[in-house]
Amino acid sequence: MKETVQNLEETYKHILKMFLHQKSEHGLYEAQQFSKVLLEHQVSPEELISVHREVLEELFPTIAEEVLDSLDLLLEVMMGYGMAYREHQSLRDRQLELESEIEVAANMQQTLLPKEIPSIGSLDIGVISVPAAKMSGDYYHYIKDDNQSVGVAIADIIGKGVPAALCMSMIKYAMDSLPEQRLQPAALLENLNRVVEQNIDDNMFITMMYGSYDSRTHEFHYSGAGHEPGFFYFAKHDQFEELFAKGIALGVSRDAKFREYSRKIETGDLIVFLSDGVTESRIGDRFIDREEIIGLIRNYMHLSAQEVVESVYYELAKLQDFQLKDDFTLMIIRREV
Amino acid sequence: MKTQSCVEVKNEWGIVAARQAGRSLSKEIGFGSVDQARITTAISELSRNIYLYAKRGEICLEVVEKPSKIGVKKGLRIIAQDQGPGIPDIRQVMVDGFTTSGGMGAGLPGVKRLMDEFTIDSEAGEGTVIKATKWLR
Amino acid sequence: MNLSIRYENKADVVVLYVAGEIDAYTAPKLREELIPLAEKGNNVKVDLSDVQYIDSTGLGVFIGALKATDANNSRLTLVGMSQRVQRLFTITGLDEVMAIEEEEGSK
Repeated sequence: MKETVQNLEETYKHILKMFLHQKSEHGLYEAQQFSKVLLEHQVSPEELISVHREVLEELFPTIAEEVLDSLDLLLEVMMGYGMAYREHQSLRDRQLELESEIEVAANMQQTLLPKEIPSIGSLDIGVISVPAAKMSGDYYHYIKDDNQSVGVAIADIIGKGVPAALCMSMIKYAMDSLPEQRLQPAALLENLNRVVEQNIDDNMFITMMYGSYDSRTHEFHYSGAGHEPGFFYFAKHDQFEELFAKGIALGVSRDAKFREYSRKIETGDLIVFLSDGVTESRIGDRFIDREEIIGLIRNYMHLSAQEVVESVYYELAKLQDFQLKDDFTLMIIRREV
Repeated sequence: MKTQSCVEVKNEWGIVAARQAGRSLSKEIGFGSVDQARITTAISELSRNIYLYAKRGEICLEVVEKPSKIGVKKGLRIIAQDQGPGIPDIRQVMVDGFTTSGGMGAGLPGVKRLMDEFTIDSEAGEGTVIKATKWLR
Repeated sequence: MNLSIRYENKADVVVLYVAGEIDAYTAPKLREELIPLAEKGNNVKVDLSDVQYIDSTGLGVFIGALKATDANNSRLTLVGMSQRVQRLFTITGLDEVMAIEEEEGSK
């Protein structure tokens, strides 16, 4: 209910007079409730002191001058509190605006992420992606073609809000719309890099790993743009190896060229893509070792790819009391047959 | 008839003198005690900025008038100016939360909220002029 | 979450000594100091000997500074990186576009 300033002043005077006439806890309670009304109407502290002074003068015509003077001093001091309060309100409004922008961007991101894991005859694919805050800077995407081949990408967008979501749409578009590039990861990254570099802020960049699995030859061709190395697992030797593709992050250098790597994937082998939220998990005050991550994957390797990624996530999140400092994305691809 | 009284600010005594001039003039114009305090605080913050950053400058006060529904409305205008280093990024200083001299809520957005009208002009290396006006209600 | 920056004007280069962590909270502070210097066309050297940790937001500041120095024909050099920080620059490929030195000659 909207009150006029005058009404509020009248009410305050009334509450004060009643209280001075008869001190009671009820009176204090009424005052406390009334302060909420005052705050709702953004009455500043200095205004209140002025009203208080008037009431005292009214009720006690013979009041000592010094008492009233002391209130003048108090008013001056409370000016500072009033200014801080108004700044606080302004900052809160700004925060709400920012939160709603993030909300918009997070919704955009949801529409850009894959709805489901593609089913490719010979592959078992699992993925988990957990944001540290409202919106994740991590993005992943798959593109399946008619030859039972699949392109997979994982990316970490450095930047926030709507601009970051726009980067995600650039990646999705690059993968969805350039069929002949899917088997040429280096070319895809080169094109994407040019688009990204021209369209993002100087402080933003994207790290990305893109690979294409050819079901006919069981070869995995991949290129990287500054992204955290993943792992290969070779069942024949029961060995984990670093999956690294050297290349500069997207958006830094307009004419960057990328190198293409290839690996033959045998039955039982694993391809592991991850974001740095995985490798920068903290245990106490130290960072986790890559060897420890391998250990965790080994523990759960006998399960389906999806179960592996979920279990590894759970273990790492538990180590950090479920308070992730960075977005966490883990993807595992296993050749079944 | 437009009278402008100016106070030089080059130390903390200047700040106090500017405050005094502001309180007297606002009382004369007919502002209530709360608005007197607001005008004085605005003058205080602006003078402090001059003192801290430009080292010297002046605060000028004038009575202003504008037409209103019931004739003429009176107000007080503060003009704070200096030939100091100027403000390289005015947008930055007009954002809440930005303060180089500590103290919550202070700063130019705070001054703007105390007054009714506010304009700022500044050029790096040339100086700064801030005008703020409060009208009788 | 703490970052301290001081700088020294030397003969033909401005040296920024940075200490602490460069992350999403402290990166704006670094940006405020570094970018204007880069945009003015100075040669800038950033000493990271006392930097324990940089995250991607921090890298973004250096990328912005690199673009500014490139545009102004001046040079950005980074020195004194810890192994951890060096690894970050290597993985992101920034070691191939940024001048990185092992040791700072004289402090």
